[in-house]
Amino acid sequence: MCAEAVEGDPIVACFYFDFAARNEQSPVNMLGSLLRQVVSGEGEIPEAIDGDFRKEKRVIGGKGLQVSGILKMFQTITATRRTFICVDALDECVPESRMVVLESLGQILQGSPNTRLFMTGRPHVRSEVEKELGGAATFLFIRATGDGVLRFLREKLRKDTAPTRMSITLERDIMKNIPAISSETYVRARPSGAPP
Amino acid sequence: MQRLTKENDGSFNTIHSFKNNENSLNNNENSFITNSYNTTTFNNTTVNDRSEILAWLSPLEPRMRHRDIGARRVDSIGAWVLESEEFCRWRNGSREDDGSYHPTLFCDGNPGVGKSYIVYEIIYCCGGLKSTIANEL
Repeated sequence: MCAEAVEGDPIVACFYFDFAARNEQSPVNMLGSLLRQVVSGEGEIPEAIDGDFRKEKRVIGGKGLQVSGILKMFQTITATRRTFICVDALDECVPESRMVVLESLGQILQGSPNTRLFMTGRPHVRSEVEKELGGAATFLFIRATGDGVLRFLREKLRKDTAPTRMSITLERDIMKNIPAISSETYVRARPSGAPP
Repeated sequence: MQRLTKENDGSFNTIHSFKNNENSLNNNENSFITNSYNTTTFNNTTVNDRSEILAWLSPLEPRMRHRDIGARRVDSIGAWVLESEEFCRWRNGSREDDGSYHPTLFCDGNPGVGKSYIVYEIIYCCGGLKSTIANEL
């Protein structure tokens, strides 16, 4: 098991893409959110960021944050600190933004040798990750395990807000058929080399 | 007018009188009075500034989604990822180890297999309660 505490005091920043929020989740806002989490974990606002903020405040209608500025500030903090970036549902980021995000994350990794990036997404975005980060990435296929599906279903049924409407027969069918369907889907989708 | 300063343990318990808000960029007195209890000084940056700077960096709040996923998760879902060799090498390895180490781990999977729950577990596993998500203002 690899779940022991990480040594030292790592920085952890995450982002969950959501297609319903695609207008707000621009590359600038997404990367800025990662930076915001990194900065908020620091006792004090780093001087470089404080300085940029004050400069921006002095200009009425300033041009606002740019991706290049965010990357520069990011690397200032993470250059020597162990940093984990976790990004969920990359497929829910619009394609145009996705390329900017992937390229930017690649630049962060290049400039910050102690930074690690974990991402998830549906299989169709894997080729884009391979294209942008392929040389620096390991790929792992996620599948639902039979045991995991059973536990998930039990928990859902336990929290059913109208349990009296559920007949024993229906509950038995759910517990029998859904794991079987999930398993079948997995076998069909599982690429060679994926874990059993 | 009074200003509260923040102790190391986060409590507000020292009061200083002053007339000018020298460190704040906000010179509007009415607005300053409204927010005076939030004005804590870290060197030259006040809490007002700090909140403003964080909001300037991004208006997005991923911690809301993070908490929502945490509330809905089921124990041990995706535990096999944390036990995988790929994850251990990604988390604990370094670029000096050998040529096989990669700083990026990308997990792809079909809808509904629990990818978001796995992200939640990995955030916890990498930073635990010390994660910056828990500390974000």
